[in-house]
Amino acid sequence: MFKTKIFYKLMIILLIFAAMILVPYTYTIVIQVNKLIELEESFDQPQSQEVLEAHRLFVSNLFKGTTPYIIYTVILAFGLSIFFMRNLLLSLKQLQRGTEAIRDGTFETKLEVLTDDEIGDLTIAFNEMSDTLKTKTLELEKKDTYFREMMDPLWVVDEHDHITDINPAFTRLFGYEKDEVLGASIYDFFDEKNALTMYRQLNEKRVKGIASMYEIEVITKKGLLFPVLISGAPIYAGDKIVGKIGILKDFREQSELKNELKRSKEYVETIMDSIKDEMLVIDRDYRVTMANQVARSNLEGSLEGDFCYKIAHNLDQPCWIRGYDCPAQMVFKTGDPYTATHKHVTKAGLKYHEIVATPIKDAAGDVTNVIELYRDVTERVEHSKKMNRKNRELSVLNSIAHILSQSLKAEEIFSSVLDKVIDMLHMDGGGIYFIDDLERDMRCAYHRSLSEEYLKKYGRMRLGEDLPGKAAVTGLVITINDLSKDRRLEDSLFRHSGIRGYCCIPIRGKEKIIGVFCLFSMHAYEFTVEEERILHAIGEMTGIAVDNVKLYEKMRDLYETQRQRREEEHAQLLSLSEKFGSIVNLGDVMTQVLILIKQFTRADFCWVLLNDKNGNLVLRAVSENTGDEDTIMYASDTRSFERYALERKTPVLVHDMLTQEKFYINPLLRERLYTSALSLPMLSGHKPVGICSLYFIAKRLFREEELHFLQIVVNSLTVAVQRSELHREVISKTGLSDTILNSVQDAIITVDHNGRTVSINKAFTDISNISMKSAIGLSLCDLLNFSDENDMMCVTLDECLVTALQGKSVRRDGELETTYGDKMFVKISSDPVLDADQSVTGAVFVLRDMSKEKNIDRIKTEIIRSVSHQFRTPLSAIVGMSEMILEDGMEPEKSRQYIETILDEGIRLSNMVSELLSIAKIESGKERMHPRPVDVRHLLKTVKKTFSPVVRKKKAVINHRVDVKEDLIVDEEKLREMLLVIVDNALTFSDDGCRVDISIDRVGDMVEITVADTGWGISDEDIGHLTERFYRGRHGDKVKGTGLGLSLCQEIVTMHGGTMKIESTVGKGTDVILQIPCGGKDA
Amino acid sequence: MHKVMVIDDEPFILMMIEDKLKKANIMVVALRESRDAVEVIRKEKPDLIILDWMMPEISGIEICKTLKEDSELQNIPVFMLTAKGQDEDEKLGLQYGIARYITKPFSPKALLSMVEETLGKHSP
Repeated sequence: MFKTKIFYKLMIILLIFAAMILVPYTYTIVIQVNKLIELEESFDQPQSQEVLEAHRLFVSNLFKGTTPYIIYTVILAFGLSIFFMRNLLLSLKQLQRGTEAIRDGTFETKLEVLTDDEIGDLTIAFNEMSDTLKTKTLELEKKDTYFREMMDPLWVVDEHDHITDINPAFTRLFGYEKDEVLGASIYDFFDEKNALTMYRQLNEKRVKGIASMYEIEVITKKGLLFPVLISGAPIYAGDKIVGKIGILKDFREQSELKNELKRSKEYVETIMDSIKDEMLVIDRDYRVTMANQVARSNLEGSLEGDFCYKIAHNLDQPCWIRGYDCPAQMVFKTGDPYTATHKHVTKAGLKYHEIVATPIKDAAGDVTNVIELYRDVTERVEHSKKMNRKNRELSVLNSIAHILSQSLKAEEIFSSVLDKVIDMLHMDGGGIYFIDDLERDMRCAYHRSLSEEYLKKYGRMRLGEDLPGKAAVTGLVITINDLSKDRRLEDSLFRHSGIRGYCCIPIRGKEKIIGVFCLFSMHAYEFTVEEERILHAIGEMTGIAVDNVKLYEKMRDLYETQRQRREEEHAQLLSLSEKFGSIVNLGDVMTQVLILIKQFTRADFCWVLLNDKNGNLVLRAVSENTGDEDTIMYASDTRSFERYALERKTPVLVHDMLTQEKFYINPLLRERLYTSALSLPMLSGHKPVGICSLYFIAKRLFREEELHFLQIVVNSLTVAVQRSELHREVISKTGLSDTILNSVQDAIITVDHNGRTVSINKAFTDISNISMKSAIGLSLCDLLNFSDENDMMCVTLDECLVTALQGKSVRRDGELETTYGDKMFVKISSDPVLDADQSVTGAVFVLRDMSKEKNIDRIKTEIIRSVSHQFRTPLSAIVGMSEMILEDGMEPEKSRQYIETILDEGIRLSNMVSELLSIAKIESGKERMHPRPVDVRHLLKTVKKTFSPVVRKKKAVINHRVDVKEDLIVDEEKLREMLLVIVDNALTFSDDGCRVDISIDRVGDMVEITVADTGWGISDEDIGHLTERFYRGRHGDKVKGTGLGLSLCQEIVTMHGGTMKIESTVGKGTDVILQIPCGGKDA
Repeated sequence: MHKVMVIDDEPFILMMIEDKLKKANIMVVALRESRDAVEVIRKEKPDLIILDWMMPEISGIEICKTLKEDSELQNIPVFMLTAKGQDEDEKLGLQYGIARYITKPFSPKALLSMVEETLGKHSP
């Protein structure tokens, strides 16, 4: 109270008032009293009238005397009050006005602060309050506007959840008018279920006092359910929640979306569930967010929400922490799909799963989830484990097959196969027994790790005796797991040899068993069924190979035998190959294998294309029946995927077949839209045999071992195909070998008993231009009508056919015109084709082209004629002159002259013989070269010198020019011989006064020797024949010669590794150009 | 005296025949070049001509052909001396009216008797 400024103000006023009023008032009273006392004293009569009067008049006199002062005091006090309280009053008045203004809703009043006291403060406070009020009011107004204008319905409820206000949007959306809903409970707007949700939400939030948001459905006035998202906030009054405000956001669209989402989620789930592989969707925390039906039924745990490592491996932390190869982690890391194979704990026990992990990416490209597809590959893994063992066996088989198909040496085959089989089965040793039919016994020919003692004891066995003997007789594979324990074998010789595991594999030839593989192990050995099967196969393959060797040797022998015997042997060979007919059709087997491959790899399509002779890829086998077998799928120049793999010689896998533009795709495949394709080339050594391709509609990845396995299968297929092709080629339906037929230069036609063509060979195709395929079924005459001149031939062949079908062989001669119009002299051999029962099933005609023989005869005659002619002239001298000398009467001088002539001509004859011989020698390869450095200048001089008599006689000129500095490395004598021949020709076939230019130049690394003359020249007709032996051109009659010179030159030039060229113009001259390597043949 | 003309490019053949015939008192005109043989024949008018088939420039058969076309000369008997020993050659030769076809190597004695035989028929 004392701290207020007003108090101090009043104190001051009081003090001034006291000083101004009380002091003069007190002074006045004192003065008056003094006057009265003086008066009284002057009377000295205390009870006089006067005194009494004075006393009675005292109060009125005092009053009279003080009245002006009282008036003064009142006026002064009033004046002072007004003076001091004026501002206060003004302030108060102001405040009053302000308050009134605020009450009226005017917030613009700004009060002036007149005093610095409490009233002043009050004024300031009032101003502030007014400002605040103004702001608040504005806010309220704004809020109200929001409230009204808000698109989302809104309600305000009191603490009893009764609606106190709604906005127009509420009316708009739900149809309720404000009057209808005020005071209504909000629960009236929900059905039972939603009301419960609402109640729970509201109470929960009310207790907690926090804002909430939840989805709910409101019943509209029309009675429809309207999905809304309510966001509610409590309204506080002090600390107390007095109500809530709720915004009911229109949630129809979102709800629709959500339903959509739900539907699509269901859809996804349906898809997921329809996938027969386990499938999990894993988030970045390695939690399973989704799982399909298969996964749920197969995997432990509740799945969704659980950790994948917990589910799959029963671990407490992600697998990769323990160093496992975690596909999910890899996908999160790399963002690319990843595949791995894991061992998993499942309800059904341990399982192998091939996990294909694929990323799910968000819009930013970050991996948010991983889909893991678990394919149960337990069987496959188990299978693959088995396969590994099989692979080994297959590899061995493959290499055996390789040996068998490549080698034509029986010894090599047996030796290698024995080694491989021992190696494959981990045997300790073994041997091969060969059956000697005559002796009825079998002997051990190849062996491994067998002691001398053993061989002495068991090296020879009777057929049927003991295990090998039995195998040889029965043809069955015998396997003994443990010899020492097998009771049936108590009397076996091997019983006491310490051998335990034992097996015998008969080697089956075409007709009979040729021997037995015997393998032993010092330990008990469990032979599996597969192994027995493989052993059986090895036995058969070896047998076939040996037969092939025999066939090969037979063929070789045949071709080496003399010509006269060829026909007989041919027939023998034909009958031999006839017996090949029993070979299984491997083509069908191949189709089976393809189907297996298809199933194994889950390929949608696979085929085998083989390279034909022209490099075209021909469809050989296909996993489904397309009916296109044996048609060309890709021509040799087509850039196909298959061709590409074949050229690369490795398996090629592509995943974008559809977009591959560099490959031409066969229309058969193009329509099917294959995505992945794997091509496995079939190689025999480095020779591409064909290709096996797999096609997949979906993208297909391959593991290394899968590829490895496929490669092995394809290798086996290659061997099978080769074998099949071999057989297919070797054996025609009638049992005639095309290989033999085609390798024979003679044209061969085989016909059935109706005279219809069964096959023709290549030689016949060459002369007739009729393809082997189109020939089938034609009659002999139809087959020959490619030329009109062949009617006679047709008659002849028909006659032959009749005889052949009677079982008799015929030999005839005939003339055939080829489709190119060439005459061909043929020798016809016609033979019956007999089946196993010796009955005639057809006939075979062999047409041997005798034209060549005729031609050779002609040449021979020519040679003999020419030789004899050339020899006759000198012989005339020798014979005639000797005769004359021997007659009497010849002068000694004449005799001498004659004898000299005889000698000269004898030498000439001898030269001729040696010239002929040297050609023969060079030709037969017996003549050796003696190259050494030769000074050509000197050589040319000596050559020129030799011709000097002729040059003189013919008035000819020989020039020479040498542009080669170094010596030539040649056989000097041969070069000289050559030059002599050429220069002699140049001079001989020229008129007198001719010129011969010899020049030697260097052209690259060759030396070019040119002998150019100005002689008669050589006609075009002759020029091609000049190097033919004994050929003499049109000047031959005029000039003596052997016709050997240029053919000798040709031989010599060839011997030096060079070439000879003759250019000539009739009437102008001839250039003979020799090119010889500078440094001799080998430099 | 009979006159025989011998045309051959081999000197020793000429020498041999000349020696043999001369001994038998037959006049011999020997000629090494076939080029102007017909001219010489026309001039010499021999009773018999012995021709070598194979000669440079003009072959024996060509000379023979020319002779047969010449009415004056066509009756002169021609002996063809040749190294060609084949039947076809002989046939061809006989087509041109060749009296004798003598293959090399020949016996001079036999030749002489043939010449004498032919000359005897055609004795002047």
